[in-house]
Amino acid sequence: MTTRSTIASEAARPTEDIDERTRLSLYRLLLEIRSVEKRAYDLFLQNLVKGTSHLSLGQEAVAAGFAAAMRSDDYTFCTYRGHAHTLARGAPMVGVLGELLGRQCGLMQGKGGSMHLTSVAHGAMGSYAIVGAHLPVANGAAWSAQYRGTDQVSVCFFGDGTTNIGAFHEALNLAAVWKLPVLFVCENNLYMEYTPIGTVTAVQHPAADRAQAYGLKPINIDGNDADAVYRVAREWIGHARAGRGPALIEAKTYRTSGHSRADPAKYRPPGELEEWLARDPLALYRSRLIGLGFEEGTLRSIEGAVQRAVDEATEAAKASPPAPPALIEKDVWADGGSAWRN
Amino acid sequence: MNVVMPQLGETVKEGTVTVWHKKVGDQVKEGERLFEVTTEKVDTEIPAPASGVLSALLVAEGQTVQVGTTLAVIEEPGKAVGVQPSAQRNAPEFSSSGSQAVARDSQRDSPASDRHGAERLSPVVRKLIAEHNLDPAEIRGSGAGGRITRDDVLAHLERRKAPAGPSQPGRGVASPGERAPLSRIRKRTAEQMALSWRTIPHVFQAMEVDFSAVEQARAARGEAWNAKEGWSLTYLPFVAHALCTALAEFPVLNAAFEGDSLLLHSTVNLGIAVDLGREGLIVPVVKEANRKSLPELARAIRSLVEKARSRQLAPDDVTEGTYTVSSSGNFGTFFTAPIINPPQVAILSIDGVTRKPIALQEAGGESVAIRPVAILGQSFDHRALDGAYSAAFLRRLKAILEGREWLSALG
Amino acid sequence: MAQLTYREAVAAGIAQEMERDESVVFLGEDVADAGGVFKATVGLLERFGPKRVRNTPISEQAIIGAAMGAAMTGLRPIAEIMFSDFLAVCWDMIANEIAKARYMSGGQISLPLVIRTANGAGSRFGAQHSQSVENWAMSIPGLKVVAPSNSADVKGLLAAAVRDPDPVIVFEHKALYASKGEVPEGELVDRLGTAKVLRQGNDVTLVALAAMVPRALEAAEQLDREDKISATVVDVRSLVPLDTKTLLAETSKTGRLYTIEENPRLCGWGAELASIVAQECFYELDGPIVRITTPHVPLPAADALEDNTIPTVERIVETVRRTSG
Repeated sequence: MTTRSTIASEAARPTEDIDERTRLSLYRLLLEIRSVEKRAYDLFLQNLVKGTSHLSLGQEAVAAGFAAAMRSDDYTFCTYRGHAHTLARGAPMVGVLGELLGRQCGLMQGKGGSMHLTSVAHGAMGSYAIVGAHLPVANGAAWSAQYRGTDQVSVCFFGDGTTNIGAFHEALNLAAVWKLPVLFVCENNLYMEYTPIGTVTAVQHPAADRAQAYGLKPINIDGNDADAVYRVAREWIGHARAGRGPALIEAKTYRTSGHSRADPAKYRPPGELEEWLARDPLALYRSRLIGLGFEEGTLRSIEGAVQRAVDEATEAAKASPPAPPALIEKDVWADGGSAWRN
Repeated sequence: MNVVMPQLGETVKEGTVTVWHKKVGDQVKEGERLFEVTTEKVDTEIPAPASGVLSALLVAEGQTVQVGTTLAVIEEPGKAVGVQPSAQRNAPEFSSSGSQAVARDSQRDSPASDRHGAERLSPVVRKLIAEHNLDPAEIRGSGAGGRITRDDVLAHLERRKAPAGPSQPGRGVASPGERAPLSRIRKRTAEQMALSWRTIPHVFQAMEVDFSAVEQARAARGEAWNAKEGWSLTYLPFVAHALCTALAEFPVLNAAFEGDSLLLHSTVNLGIAVDLGREGLIVPVVKEANRKSLPELARAIRSLVEKARSRQLAPDDVTEGTYTVSSSGNFGTFFTAPIINPPQVAILSIDGVTRKPIALQEAGGESVAIRPVAILGQSFDHRALDGAYSAAFLRRLKAILEGREWLSALG
Repeated sequence: MAQLTYREAVAAGIAQEMERDESVVFLGEDVADAGGVFKATVGLLERFGPKRVRNTPISEQAIIGAAMGAAMTGLRPIAEIMFSDFLAVCWDMIANEIAKARYMSGGQISLPLVIRTANGAGSRFGAQHSQSVENWAMSIPGLKVVAPSNSADVKGLLAAAVRDPDPVIVFEHKALYASKGEVPEGELVDRLGTAKVLRQGNDVTLVALAAMVPRALEAAEQLDREDKISATVVDVRSLVPLDTKTLLAETSKTGRLYTIEENPRLCGWGAELASIVAQECFYELDGPIVRITTPHVPLPAADALEDNTIPTVERIVETVRRTSG
């Protein structure tokens, strides 16, 4: 007779070569990202988050999957849709929310804002608001690791729209020629801002179909399946770490909100959103975990802990004073100042 | 609103506040007498430019400051008080909002030097001039177009410091005597004379005029005039009247010299030189003299001379002259070569009418008669005109004085 | 003392720093085997090997991006952009990314990198290969900018730039590469943010940069000989940080400022210096500030045209003579 525990241990067997701990931490990462992004949305509606904000609702699995496969001394680079990636590297929630609110407790004390989340201490080497700019920079970090012989890896996240800009091509070419330990991960969420990517791209898979132009293997994955992402991430990070050169990975996913907070995304065809909501990465993963025999109680307690953490972080961020004017002339130069004359 | 030292006269650069009629904290009404100023030209009362509270007095009674310097601040109701202006600084104030400056060209500093080609005073030159209380008219300009350069000012300061030659007693030279500081008017006159003499090539022409016709009119109407007006008709109004006619025909003599052009004036504003005793000269101006009848001229002249002698001239009274006449009637001199009042190009001197024997041409032959005769002397600016023109003008003037129907002119 | 050409001094400066510090690396187009299109980096590959001296594809954005990524993760890269005109090709990397990364990250990101590039006209390369664009860099907060005029300065300022913890753009002048100058033996490290007074005079102050410096000196000689006008000549050397103290002091002494700029007229570096002097030195001025610049046109290619577009010694002399009265 099969007991529950038998089913569980069967499910956790090495055919699913992801151990229990990793699975739970993947789940936790997905939850944290989802909860913080939802909270960011609420705060925006309360007019506490000013300017613009690009949420990763629906795209959590890519960030979580890769983060779980990285070493803490690896480097990540992402776009202005970077809350997920920054959180996934371990940056504190209060720092992320605080930065969105423009407070002193922000990761960059309010100097950068939502589009530039950076936590060098966690290897999150910046979120970049000019499309494509960070790909060459990711190369540089990889080159540095290669030069210093440290086997660190540089992972670079960007959207489908990036694959058509010049810097993408320059970076891929150089990475391949110099055999740099860098992964280029394209989160293809089907839209380049408000335009379907297919209408402006010469190939069907905007990233994967270009890999061969750089002597790289085309890799397409389901970006909403955290396990699938994790496996691919683990494999190719290992490849890069072993000095075997770069990879270009295309992860298909979907953003369930607009391009930015300001966008209600009315350009989507009817039914598309519903179709993708049915494949929500969080719901998908939760039900897989249950199927694998994880306890409901375990999951609930993680959910509770994450919720509490988000609430605490929110209160702490709200309580933090606004960024003081004294910061305006700080940190242009390494000496902390901004003097251009004597 | 800032109250600034007004410019009371074209060449006036500074003034002394003599009396404040209000103190800090007093209510002030626009137009109300606020303070009194003395300059080398005039003493005058200045009204308040706005209503409000006198919130600051920056210059004390007895203090001499540059034109344009902020003297006081009136806080107007409903208007925020800005940063308090500094009291007289070394660098002179040039824009005077709310200034009572009379001259149109209060924006320009040193108009006298402006008219002499060395117009542009650079910031450092202005600063040095203000710091050392210099008169640009005294500084030789060696820059392009006669511009005063910084080095010129520094050289000037050096020369001032250096002990003078034997002709000028400096400190400590053993030549006993009493030092008499020059009055402001004297000093100013001295500067003006020196500038004029230095920059204008003077040529003097004299003409002898028979004043018989004038004399006859004076004799006929003198008593009645005296009874009516309380003062006597002198020769001067007749000369002034004749001058206006002649100047209309010789417009170059009624002009301003501007370096590369002449500004030919359309009216005659006649300056009347008035001697103020040891103090110096002042030249009040009869505006639009060419529009005045002889009696009006006489009265205008009389009024100005009175005001001048009693130090009551208003700022408007000493500006915008186009030609000057200097009457040295009672000096006993034969003729005088006067010094031109820049930017004018000529000046006329009349040295008293005396009875002299002259040769008369008549049908029967020559004879000697005694007539009232005066020498009219004109100094003219040889840059602007030549001897033939000046002489023709004098001939015309003579003809008018000797031939006009003066009784009708007297009305 | 050694006599080095400007280009030899460039290589010597890079070599000095690479020798001293293993984290210094060098990348660019044709810089390795070929020794650089201007032969300014000859010998470096042989001395330091292909790991530290790297040829790149024609990919300005990739070059500068790689320098940025390497600098933020522990290296001190020197990146070459062959012609300063090409800074426009990777201007996003320079102006939007490198210049702002430290600030936007709240001080977390460090970018001790150097971009060196060949600036300036006189080589008949035409409008897209002859510009003086140091003023572009001057106008972006977060970039340090130097433009040396002679061999010793280029070596010393390059070394100082490598050692500086902030991004520095070194504008070498392509027409100066062959010029010779005395360079002290041994280690040479100059200081950013310092101008040099090359000649002291009483009447006018000429302030110049890079290839205009020798012209200013020649003009000063001529003015002295022919017009008895005594000129101070200041080599600005560093636009950011700017040595305003020297600028103001030397202008106050004469009361007359002339800037001699190879960049086109509008928003040239001299405009900023003129405005600083007009504001902070106003009461020392004995005459208007005059800028002597290339007119506001793209540069023509023909030698007869190019030579008469950028400021010549004759034009400098004539302008000073005409306006200094």
